[in-house]
Amino acid sequence: MSRKILIVEDDSSTAAYLAKGLSEAGYSVESARDGRDGLFLASEGIFDLVIADRMLPGLDGLSMVSAIRAAGIATPVLVLSALAAVDDRVDGLKAGADDYLCKPFSFAELSARIEALVRRSDRAATEPTKTRLAVGDLEIDLLARHVTRAGRSIPLGAREFNLLEFLARHAGQVVTRTMMLEKIWNYHFDPGSNVVDVHIGRLRRKLEDGFPSPILHTVRGAGYRLAADPA
Amino acid sequence: MRLSVTARIALLSIGLALVSNLVLVGFVWKRTDAVVIGTVRRETIEQSDAMRSIFHVGGLPAVVEAIGHARAAGDTSLLIAVLDRHGARIAGTIPGGLDLPLTPSLFRIADLDSHRATGDIGYTLRPIGHYWLLTGRRLDLVEAERRAIEGALVVAVLLSLVLGIGAGLVLARYVGIRLNRIAAVIEAAGEGDLSRRVPVAPARRDAFDRLANQLNLMLGKLERLMVELRLVTDSLAHDLRSPLTRLRTKTEQAVLIADPATREAALGGLLAETDLVMRMLTMLIEISRSESVSRDRFILVEPAELVEEIAELYEPVAEEAGFVFTVAIDASAPAMLLHRELLSQAITNLIDNALKHASNGGRLTLRLVASPHEIAIQVEDRGIGIAEGDRAQALKRFGRLDAARTTPGAGLGMALIEAVARLHNGRFELADNAPGLIARIVLPA
Repeated sequence: MSRKILIVEDDSSTAAYLAKGLSEAGYSVESARDGRDGLFLASEGIFDLVIADRMLPGLDGLSMVSAIRAAGIATPVLVLSALAAVDDRVDGLKAGADDYLCKPFSFAELSARIEALVRRSDRAATEPTKTRLAVGDLEIDLLARHVTRAGRSIPLGAREFNLLEFLARHAGQVVTRTMMLEKIWNYHFDPGSNVVDVHIGRLRRKLEDGFPSPILHTVRGAGYRLAADPA
Repeated sequence: MRLSVTARIALLSIGLALVSNLVLVGFVWKRTDAVVIGTVRRETIEQSDAMRSIFHVGGLPAVVEAIGHARAAGDTSLLIAVLDRHGARIAGTIPGGLDLPLTPSLFRIADLDSHRATGDIGYTLRPIGHYWLLTGRRLDLVEAERRAIEGALVVAVLLSLVLGIGAGLVLARYVGIRLNRIAAVIEAAGEGDLSRRVPVAPARRDAFDRLANQLNLMLGKLERLMVELRLVTDSLAHDLRSPLTRLRTKTEQAVLIADPATREAALGGLLAETDLVMRMLTMLIEISRSESVSRDRFILVEPAELVEEIAELYEPVAEEAGFVFTVAIDASAPAMLLHRELLSQAITNLIDNALKHASNGGRLTLRLVASPHEIAIQVEDRGIGIAEGDRAQALKRFGRLDAARTTPGAGLGMALIEAVARLHNGRFELADNAPGLIARIVLPA
């Protein structure tokens, strides 16, 4: 059964572009044109994810998210907005959104975030407490904060461990640079230079040097993916 | 009918002069009346008391004789008479046709309006033996005074009208001239000419001057903002034109590439160009937003922790770029209310700038200095630095030191740092590191 996504967006061309892209990616998509319809549909609780614009007629996006949360609905919400300043993002997350993406956005960034959100809510429902993560021959002990690959211990710094844990929790998915900046460093801005790439490069050397197969893959134009197989 | 402001001011001053004159003269009129009536009352009662004393000693004949004496004094307004129990006159004089109620009264005014020749009288009527004693006085004098004051009242009203019109016209003209000067400047501003100012006399400091000064200050600020806005718009158009042109050319080329691998590489280049444009726009938004962020966004932050975190993020980046990266943190820096995100962004911009412009490598230092009143977060590089005369230009929005704009970047980084420093009531300074540059955000502790 395909995952259901609700798009609440008043700009018809953006909504159509999103619906087309997400349908092609295998999601089943429904759309609402204003905040009140969006709230009504989201309240049914049948969606796996809600994508909401911020500036909506009827009821603005943030009020809609607050209302969804007030109604006790835990469906993940991703806010999509042209309001791109740091404070706007913080407002969005405070209102109850799980993620905030600024327009104009890249579709790769959007799909990576959607996948992360949908997967996370799945996992929260099925396996709430996991103390070990495994990706191929890589094993991560979350309690001891200890990493081994093919039985060999790999010493990591605190930040490197957090980075690897984040990648492993989204194993097989694309994780973008901004997602890492947000989750690992709590920075809601783009530092400009290649900071994330440098940190990933260091982590990759530790994870791959001396091992026959790569495990941390670069996805061009999008980000990185931790997986045993390169595809 | 709509009246001009000056006409309204003139009317108002006329009205005010009229009302104040009426109130003043009315008050005098009322007071004079009260004083005169009071005197008559006292005299009348005294006279009555005297006659009664005479009656007690000498009976009616003595009273009749005293009345004769009193009348002989020639005071024609004086009334004094003895009446029998039916009101008929026995001695003295009373005005003809006077019909008084025969009840004792200490002082009363009888309205003799129907007998205009005699006028009103004030009187006292008291019993003596089997008779009534009437003492009183004609009130013609009071009436005469009253009429004189009424005459004065009319003259005062006429005078106040004339003076009021004069004063109103002078006042209206004065206010009108000064208001018109201000209005003319505002009208010119409304039509787009922001260069005009209201003339202000340096010595005088009245309300009009204050208004004019405030207006001039506002116009000055507006004019500066307009110039800056025009500059920003021009620069934005200029700076967007280059990446958009490249974007267009590259798209055109990519469309024509047949080989999938080469086309993919070309498309990757397109994405990078797009990201550049997007970063530029985001930075501009951050700058204008940081100029109006409210203080409730500020949270208590340990500056040492903040700087340490950024150092940790950038250390590997600096080292990979060939720098010797050192961090020096003064742990005595107190916790402060800061906009954590914007300040972090400003500091990362400082480091980014150093990495970009001191590309020859060398030592790169991130330093937190604390003094009793302020803290400074600074990045010191060993690059070519910025000449003292060029530093102001470097801080401007889109202010870039290579006029041809060949180096990457939009010239917004420093403008953002300055805006963030200002948001914290601090400042952004550039200094010489001999050689190299020290870029410093100074915040009040």
